[in-house]
Amino acid sequence: MKILAVESSCDETAVAVVEDGRKILADEIFSQVALHEIYGGVVPEIAARSHLEVITLLADRALEKAGIGRKDIDAVACTYAPGLIGAVLVGVNFAKSAALALGVPLIPVHHIRGHIAANYLAFPELEPPFLCLAISGGNTMLVDVRGYTDMAVLGRTRDDAAGECFDKSARVLGLGYPGGKPIDDLSKRGDDRAYDLPRPWVNDGNPYDMSFSGLKTAVVNLAHHAQQTGQELDKPGLAASLCRAVSESLVGRTMAAAEQLGYDKVAVAGGVAANSRVRADFEAACRKAGKKLFVPPLRLCGDNGAMIGAQGYYEYLAGHTAGSDLNAYATMEL
Amino acid sequence: MLTLALESSAKAASAAVFEDEKMLAFSIQNAGLTHSRTLLPMAEDMLKNLGKAPADIGRVAVSRGPGSFTGLRIGMAEAKGLCWALEKPVVGVSTLEAMAWGGPVLDGQMLCCAMDARRGQVYNALFTVEGGKPVRLTQDRAISIGELESELIARQEPWILLGDGAELCFDTLDRSQVTVFLAPEPLRVQSARGVGLAAMGKEAVPAGELLPQYLRLSQAERERLAKLEKE
Repeated sequence: MKILAVESSCDETAVAVVEDGRKILADEIFSQVALHEIYGGVVPEIAARSHLEVITLLADRALEKAGIGRKDIDAVACTYAPGLIGAVLVGVNFAKSAALALGVPLIPVHHIRGHIAANYLAFPELEPPFLCLAISGGNTMLVDVRGYTDMAVLGRTRDDAAGECFDKSARVLGLGYPGGKPIDDLSKRGDDRAYDLPRPWVNDGNPYDMSFSGLKTAVVNLAHHAQQTGQELDKPGLAASLCRAVSESLVGRTMAAAEQLGYDKVAVAGGVAANSRVRADFEAACRKAGKKLFVPPLRLCGDNGAMIGAQGYYEYLAGHTAGSDLNAYATMEL
Repeated sequence: MLTLALESSAKAASAAVFEDEKMLAFSIQNAGLTHSRTLLPMAEDMLKNLGKAPADIGRVAVSRGPGSFTGLRIGMAEAKGLCWALEKPVVGVSTLEAMAWGGPVLDGQMLCCAMDARRGQVYNALFTVEGGKPVRLTQDRAISIGELESELIARQEPWILLGDGAELCFDTLDRSQVTVFLAPEPLRVQSARGVGLAAMGKEAVPAGELLPQYLRLSQAERERLAKLEKE
């Protein structure tokens, strides 16, 4: 079954063709990073405008890359939530009209479920159940993946996402947007004990919940303090300390949850999974605990259409299709 | 040839189906509900009731702006999705021109089409009617109601106000200086009927070439430019 998949929830317009949930036939992405860079973050209206301009071009390219025609499309899947509403609306309305015109099923896909499914594309042997930590610029959650479409959120950030923490920190350190990569690069030259940053532990209620706003504020305050007092900031040291703080709070919780549920498979998904400290710490922790770790290659960590096509296949098998009244939503439970 | 017309630039969601120049079906919902949920089912039902399939569509006509940024994108993304899948062309028409076509197109009438653009402005264009067809007197623009008033006074004609900004103009314009009439409400709102009529004889393009005409930059861009100007 060949699924045409559309993703437009943030600042990447993506159209992919995925076969049977596992095989990428095409995965076209247009990144808007250059459009948003000068604003230091994603501007929702600019994102939505750009999606509308490029979406058909990407769909054309996806078919060309896959070497198929429109008649070969068996279903259309799209991210319908969560995301920047103006941005998601473009993909949803394009996808549902295309599905109607082609006379094929329309499959709405939750964006975070898509990130989790990126692992199915990278690891043919991976099947639920497993534990997955989904970490991106907009979301941070620990998910019990009981089945392809049967999931339970064990814990989540109470405030900022881990990626948001990197982006804001990068901004005050003058590293540009998006912040994940420059902070990662810089951290490699720094001492991860240079700064004593607060660990974002949440001590009340759910032990798997997280918090990153305090950490973000600590970095912002350090940068402002240095600026006001004219002190030289050890930027590589701060970047390394930040990566360590984020990683420790993510890895500890994830491993504890895997232990509690008795899972021997741990997966990581989303843009922050590209962080080398997070990857390295997970590798070490899983080796020590005798668990198998799954982290998709960098290209599949960020937003892409293929992951929507992968999850779309399993949603379709579960009978989760929609009609032409499908709407887009800024927020939605997993 | 079958034309599906879509309009979602403001509060009303509307679809119409034309066989060449003849309107076969027309639907409008002016309840302010999410166009993303209502517009496509409206078109789908209409085709079904006509005994037609989406594949019978020869081209799609859609209002390309000005209007609500999000509203426009819903209609245009749907037009693009349909046309891309069917490999059929699309015609983007000015929302203001479509409004004129949907109004009382009687020869000699002067039509003032206006949408509330907020920030003290209206999206506006002026038309007259010749041979039963609106003829443009101005380009589409975003102007203050004060500027519009000066222009209407200078042209010394009685004007029929159309569009969701008609009432705003009627209430704000100095009516001791300019003669204006409010078109009846059903003729005033944006409709796919107007879009389909305005698209007649206009060139259709591949879906990828359809571009919106917002007539206004995003807020972030405006603020950035204003800041740069100050420096």
